[in-house]
Amino acid sequence: MATTTATITLASSDIADNSLSISNTMTMTTAGTTTGITETTGLARKKIASATEVDLITRDNIDVTASKSAKVYIKNTGTATDKYALIGIGQATGTPIYLGRLYGGDWMVFPWLAAQTGGAGHANNEDITIKMDDATETIIEYMVFFE
Amino acid sequence: MATTTATLTLSSTDLLSDSLSVSATQTLYKAGTTTGLDGIQYERLEVPTGDVYDIVDATAAGANKANKIYIANKNTTETNYVDVYVAALNIGRLYAGDWMFIPLEAAAATQDVGVEAIGAAQHIEFALIHEGKTLVAS
Repeated sequence: MATTTATITLASSDIADNSLSISNTMTMTTAGTTTGITETTGLARKKIASATEVDLITRDNIDVTASKSAKVYIKNTGTATDKYALIGIGQATGTPIYLGRLYGGDWMVFPWLAAQTGGAGHANNEDITIKMDDATETIIEYMVFFE
Repeated sequence: MATTTATLTLSSTDLLSDSLSVSATQTLYKAGTTTGLDGIQYERLEVPTGDVYDIVDATAAGANKANKIYIANKNTTETNYVDVYVAALNIGRLYAGDWMFIPLEAAAATQDVGVEAIGAAQHIEFALIHEGKTLVAS
């Protein structure tokens, strides 16, 4: 059993009259247990120089089990605050549901259901898609923790 | 203009052969700018079982922006979880003690953020840091 933690700190001294200070640490465990997650893709980097929508993470390729407690970390390592990567869930060749935009320097962490509804490569499988707003070469980092 | 930062630390000494230590910090800007996000909605509430409840309604003023949402499940029973929905798609489970932080596209009025408690009613906290929302006249 491994112990993996993710800590977030959200802070601002001027977004409201009183300071905002949120800090939270989660220990990544397998679904419904206190046993630590033991599988990961490791930290990966992908260079993207196209505005064509593609799968960033294909669920079938990493053998993630659906409907568990998988977590995904993605970061746009670019520095341009006017360029973004649009992250979605679904199929790049279909109509993914867009979560949101990672501008240069932005990161995200979210749970991933990774549902598979029709076998490998099926159009309804929940891959993680990415679409850059233009062809500027950008490096995206990602890491999946799963069981 | 406000300055709000989000810092992440991922760490483990035994998940891999070598220690894992990933850190990232972002300043929360309005879309395409270096102007800080200046709207916030910060709540704690109890989510009942039995249905998906919207916690954020997508509005035209917030569509296709750089809004960010943080959600934490404050429950402590490891078998309980909250399903998180974006635009009616179940994206994943926040088990007791889990949190998430994502940008929120909210491209259309149907792309709300919803939660459903599984196992028991559970308290969550969420913070939406945004650059605008369309208000509804009373």
